[in-house]
Amino acid sequence: MKGSILPFEKDLEKSILAFLKTGLDKECFEAVLIPHKIPSDDNYAYLLIKDKTLLQGASPLPPVIPVQGAKAVSALTRWGPSKKKILAVMHPCEIRATVELSKLRQASLDNLVFLSFDCPGVMPLSGYVKNPGEGDPAYQDARQKWESAKMRPVCQTCSEFGAPASDLHIGLLGAEEGNAFLFPASLEGKRIMDKLGLETSASSDGWEREVEKLKKAREEKRRGAHQSLQTRVEGPDKLLETFSSCINCHNCMRVCPVCYCRQCYFDSDAFKLPPENFLARAQKKGSLRLPADTLLFHLGRMSHMILSCVSCGTCEDACPMGIPVAQVFSLVAENAQRLFNYVPGRSKEEPLPAAVYREEELCEMEKPYLETYARTGERDASASENK
Amino acid sequence: MPQLLKISKSVDEGTKAFLEFLLKEKKVCGVITLRKIHGDQGIGYSLITRPDDLEEALPLFPLMPANGGKILSRLTLRGSPKEPVAAVMKPCEMRAFIELIKRKQGSLDNFVFISQTCPGVYPIEMSSGGDLETLASRYRENIQLGENIPETRSACRTCLHFTPPNADIIVSLIAEKDLDKSCSLFLNSKKGEALADGMAGERREQTLDSPELRLLHNKKKEERKKLFDEMGTEMRGIEGLIRLFGKCIGCHGCSYVCPLCYCDLCFFDSKPNESRPISYQGDLERKGATRIPSGTIFYHLGRLAHMSVSCIGCGMCTDVCPVDIPVSTIFSRVGESVQKIFDYRPGMDVEEVLPFAVYKEEEFQEIGEQ
Repeated sequence: MKGSILPFEKDLEKSILAFLKTGLDKECFEAVLIPHKIPSDDNYAYLLIKDKTLLQGASPLPPVIPVQGAKAVSALTRWGPSKKKILAVMHPCEIRATVELSKLRQASLDNLVFLSFDCPGVMPLSGYVKNPGEGDPAYQDARQKWESAKMRPVCQTCSEFGAPASDLHIGLLGAEEGNAFLFPASLEGKRIMDKLGLETSASSDGWEREVEKLKKAREEKRRGAHQSLQTRVEGPDKLLETFSSCINCHNCMRVCPVCYCRQCYFDSDAFKLPPENFLARAQKKGSLRLPADTLLFHLGRMSHMILSCVSCGTCEDACPMGIPVAQVFSLVAENAQRLFNYVPGRSKEEPLPAAVYREEELCEMEKPYLETYARTGERDASASENK
Repeated sequence: MPQLLKISKSVDEGTKAFLEFLLKEKKVCGVITLRKIHGDQGIGYSLITRPDDLEEALPLFPLMPANGGKILSRLTLRGSPKEPVAAVMKPCEMRAFIELIKRKQGSLDNFVFISQTCPGVYPIEMSSGGDLETLASRYRENIQLGENIPETRSACRTCLHFTPPNADIIVSLIAEKDLDKSCSLFLNSKKGEALADGMAGERREQTLDSPELRLLHNKKKEERKKLFDEMGTEMRGIEGLIRLFGKCIGCHGCSYVCPLCYCDLCFFDSKPNESRPISYQGDLERKGATRIPSGTIFYHLGRLAHMSVSCIGCGMCTDVCPVDIPVSTIFSRVGESVQKIFDYRPGMDVEEVLPFAVYKEEEFQEIGEQ
């Protein structure tokens, strides 16, 4: 792959902004969707910016993801493609989620161009907003070292940090001091670079080597993290324990970029039951937790969206109880996605597994289920004999 | 004057013994109370029908993982229980339930309420990964002082309705000196007296009101004034609102846990409220830039308009906000003003009609003139 060397003017962020400004000037795109600090200085929000003087204060590499970018794109294009050509600056996982939402018909990619960058991860949101003065240097540190225990747990084990899901990608790894590496990752990206007179002749071998190296290290780390997590969450008892402090606020679902339903099934009439139902369930077991079906909500949400889960970590950020939601979902996502050989956000064209019908598929999955089911039957039978 | 029933057990054990008595004597078919969930991992509400399961109950625990009013509404939305159920609720949870009933989101039939003079609760995040025993014992030590308890929700520290007006049984906690040895239950209604009939303990007539309660009321009133005065200047004008709500991430968790926000689908999540491309284009042309998703402040103002008249100030909204917006303080502050205009006291009396449900032709003309 070949690209262009992007020399820093003052720092990386300023250089990216200068690039965006030139892009607006030369009408490569008409507006930019980019994070911007909010007036109280302790958080960020996506702004759609047309006026290039307003671009000055934008933050292409924010230390947090307050709103998953896919949600912003969906809000912008759910009712139809943007009339203006927009360049969106987003973390790789946000772009991957946007691609998933477009497959789910909740976003339109028409007239959108994406710019991503090698992502050092982001910090847990609630910790950051409590003390941005402490968070900012920690984030800068992570950008230097590409490893930091202060980033979100799922960011620390993310191996898709440099995968260009975008039209344009900024490579930071393996770049010389004071330089970054800009390369086109689509025809559209190439067109923009051509229009800006940017050569695409510099070799990206150094970048590719570094990305590959870090990717391997991250995959290794993720395997370890998943293994240790699995021993803590596998099976009904441990799952119940993991989600036992859940207060059923559904924040995880509300901020999840893939959970797009206006009204969640778990908030629907299906769960509005007569009091006799609750009392009967309580009487059967001695007591019934209220609100009921808390774990069912998480399992249901999981089965609904897990194939498209990009492991962004936004759910965990929004959990008031500190439940490792994103870590659990990431573990299950990896297994489920492997089964279908599906990587969410990898390609715009790749159909969602649930949208493809194959008669002879996953037959082997049915067998263990039947066996388990049959075994349960035997157990029940022997249990009643013992009575 | 209500009857006071004194049980010579610690307040927790005494309350549990009373709940056990209710279940064993079949005075109720179930008890709704806080309990340990999965060992010591969490605290949650539970509908307990088997007396043995009360072992794990923590009826007076200083946490509110969900507003109980919302729990009771879910339970009675499709009808009321056929046999009596006892619910152990904090005063603001009862008030929330009463507001929900006025909105036809539940039923009081066949419920008996056990509440407490409420010293307040801790923010829920203090329960995650924390040591619940230590939390509870620190709380107990502070109760007897009759002071505002350090680190409790600011909604609780500034709450003026910590004695429940309409509970059948009231567990006396505030300023009680012998919580380790004695459990004081006020039988606050005929229903309450009938419930306690047959329960062992010493009985006498006593008023719930005490100098200690009045003193604490004044302290909370002062703290409330201070908090609201500060907030009052901070939230003024559009600049103030941006400062307060600017960092909102739009998770709408505040509305989801709010006991008053009962709509299945919030207007602000509905189809009509979704911005069409044209509105973004317009904003973009006019201002040069626009926030996406839009409507952040509009959502909070809208929610205020919809429910502030019934806001009972429980503090759930602040607890779940991932970015630490003092939602509850803002809503209580606005709620107080709105409620004063209508001379309305949310949750005090199920017969008191919601202001929106009353039509007066000659009302608020001065606002129209402004």
